[in-house]
Amino acid sequence: MTAAGWQDPPAAPVLAAWPVPAGVRLVWLHLLSRRVPAAAVALVGCGAVLRAALQWHWTFSSGPYAQRIPLIIEAGAAAAIVVTSHSPFGEAERATGRWLPWLRLGTALALTGLAIGALQLGVTGAGLNEGIMVLARNVIGMTGIGLLCSLVTGGLLAWILPLAYMAFAQYALLEAWRSPWTWPARPPADRGAWLCACVVFAVGLAAFTISGARNSLADNA
Amino acid sequence: MTALAARALAPASAGRLLRLEIRRNAMVWALPLLAVLFVYDPYRTASGYPPVWDVRASVILNHMLFDFGAFAGGLAAWAGSRDGRRQTRDLLAATARPAWARQAAALAGTLFWVLLGFLAAVAVLYIQTARQVTWGGPPLWPVAVGAVALITICAIGFTAGALVPGRFTAPLVAVGVVVLDLVGFREALGPSSAYALLSPSAGALPDDTGLFYPVAPDVAIAQVMFMGGITAAVLGILALSPALRWPGTLRWPGTLRWPGTWRLPAGATGPWLPAVAITVVAAGLAAAGTAAGLAGTARPVVSGWEIPALHNAASDRPLAYPPDCTGTSFQVCVHPAFSFFRDDVAAALDPVAAEVAGLPGAPLSAEEAAARGKGALLGGVITGIPPVYEFNGERAGSLIGAFQGTTASASSSTWRALFQQAFLDALVAGPAHAGSPGPASPAQQAVVTALLTAVGSQVPQSHQVAGGGPPGEPSPAQIAAAANRFAALPSAARHAWLAAHLPALRAGQVTLAQLP
Repeated sequence: MTAAGWQDPPAAPVLAAWPVPAGVRLVWLHLLSRRVPAAAVALVGCGAVLRAALQWHWTFSSGPYAQRIPLIIEAGAAAAIVVTSHSPFGEAERATGRWLPWLRLGTALALTGLAIGALQLGVTGAGLNEGIMVLARNVIGMTGIGLLCSLVTGGLLAWILPLAYMAFAQYALLEAWRSPWTWPARPPADRGAWLCACVVFAVGLAAFTISGARNSLADNA
Repeated sequence: MTALAARALAPASAGRLLRLEIRRNAMVWALPLLAVLFVYDPYRTASGYPPVWDVRASVILNHMLFDFGAFAGGLAAWAGSRDGRRQTRDLLAATARPAWARQAAALAGTLFWVLLGFLAAVAVLYIQTARQVTWGGPPLWPVAVGAVALITICAIGFTAGALVPGRFTAPLVAVGVVVLDLVGFREALGPSSAYALLSPSAGALPDDTGLFYPVAPDVAIAQVMFMGGITAAVLGILALSPALRWPGTLRWPGTLRWPGTWRLPAGATGPWLPAVAITVVAAGLAAAGTAAGLAGTARPVVSGWEIPALHNAASDRPLAYPPDCTGTSFQVCVHPAFSFFRDDVAAALDPVAAEVAGLPGAPLSAEEAAARGKGALLGGVITGIPPVYEFNGERAGSLIGAFQGTTASASSSTWRALFQQAFLDALVAGPAHAGSPGPASPAQQAVVTALLTAVGSQVPQSHQVAGGGPPGEPSPAQIAAAANRFAALPSAARHAWLAAHLPALRAGQVTLAQLP
């Protein structure tokens, strides 16, 4: 063996033409690893579908039936948020990432806000039954359920519980249940319903921030 | 091992592969969740319906399919995306089994749990119903349509997962399935085209569905054909999915010369598979298109919906049944399926029948009849000689007096008054107004209100005083005053006036001022 063919390893590429703060790069890489850009597209898609449902009268204009399709789309938005909780790196990332809890917190909060904004944009001028307050409450509450679910099932299957709650809430809607825990069936200004949805979201967000979604290296989507 | 021995072992190894897929399928973990949803939604909803087989079975397609469909679609997509998610496609491409065989086993594992859960839920529902019904047998078409719908949902979800194995595929498929289900439900309820019949969801059925006429299976056959066609097409696409994932293998024209020349990755497929898959896709699309065409020809009949090409004329023949009757002077008969309601109906009708006994055209008996005639809901009418009051559970008292399926609602004074009002409307206002919110003329309204007051019933809301009437018409207060005046007459005087003036009153020739 000779050193004739040996070459120095290529120099590390210049990361950017202009200086990017390390913090910004860290956030961007975190968002990419969680497929947050795709989630943002999915949330905008949810807003578009909600708009289409109202525009082309896929749903009823009033009464308990009017809330059914918006509730499904809100559950879809919550599902899109919670599947971003899956990390492809597993334990290695936990061991090295000092900022990880803050990144998780920020990502979940930002996506929840984006979901509410995208859905609100979708219904602007289209006359959503019960209005933006119920929409926001449903997204917040079901996202909280999904974040809690991610601790048990992992991020990729965390959509199961929000969808199950949505199916359960459909029945509660038709039966006009009064329990605040069935917040989709409650009026926009119902304090108990807001409290329950916010408590679920806060607990889910806190638990997710601290411990993160359960990880399985077998799944690497 | 010889080729013969290997071939003999093939079914055993296929069975072992299927067992592995069943054991490791994620759907099994969703079953407890589905059980909770089933108890809260379809089971409780069905318990609120009258104990009539077809009415209770309607929750299979209107409620169970919604709950099961979301998880079936999502978890089928999860199973379908497994190889892509775990990045094992290349690894598995080198195994002895072709891609379609591996995917078929994974899909079958999901279907096993979905159908097992679905059939178990149907069994619970039917056992509960069997303990309460007094007539008829369990309908099987809703079960068949529900099972085929779930198979279709699983096939679509699995194929979506196989083609796009991202983390968003499973939840988006689940949400898409339930949105589609509700859009179909909306179309079934609203004034839409006959194509809406292709949706398994349907509007609320009349409470006597399947009692007077058999439910025609035409629409169910078209639905099974439509969804079966879609399933076949989707499975054909799934079989081609290795090629679809590697677009380079489908280069035109080199790879489309004919089966055997498709350059698919090793282990992905056999030389005959593309031709079979394309044939299956074409056949599936043809079946779905044919079903859609057939649904477009549907029209309402007494037994539900008729699709001429599929219709059996025997479905239009009324079913024979021994009526369940009570009473001597005024006999009340109901369908044996509504036996639990017979005494409530008799208790409601007896006082008003006694009040009008002997008047011209007054019925001598009452009999339950089919709610639906030629597709339209019918109101209570007095027909025949001697006159018989024919009522049904749907339109007695402008829907509010409908059979609610529970004796609790039957015993309520509101139901009783509305049922009596429907009877008096049919006598006083004639068949044209029976079942509408109130008799047509003010005099008829006043007489019905007075007769209801005379038998001690609560006056229905539509007859109560509320504000002023339209210009030129007597106000509700004037109608109420006339009703009070008429009710205050001695019973014999009231009866004598009605005996003399009922035909004119029914014809709308009596004014409010002419009432005594």
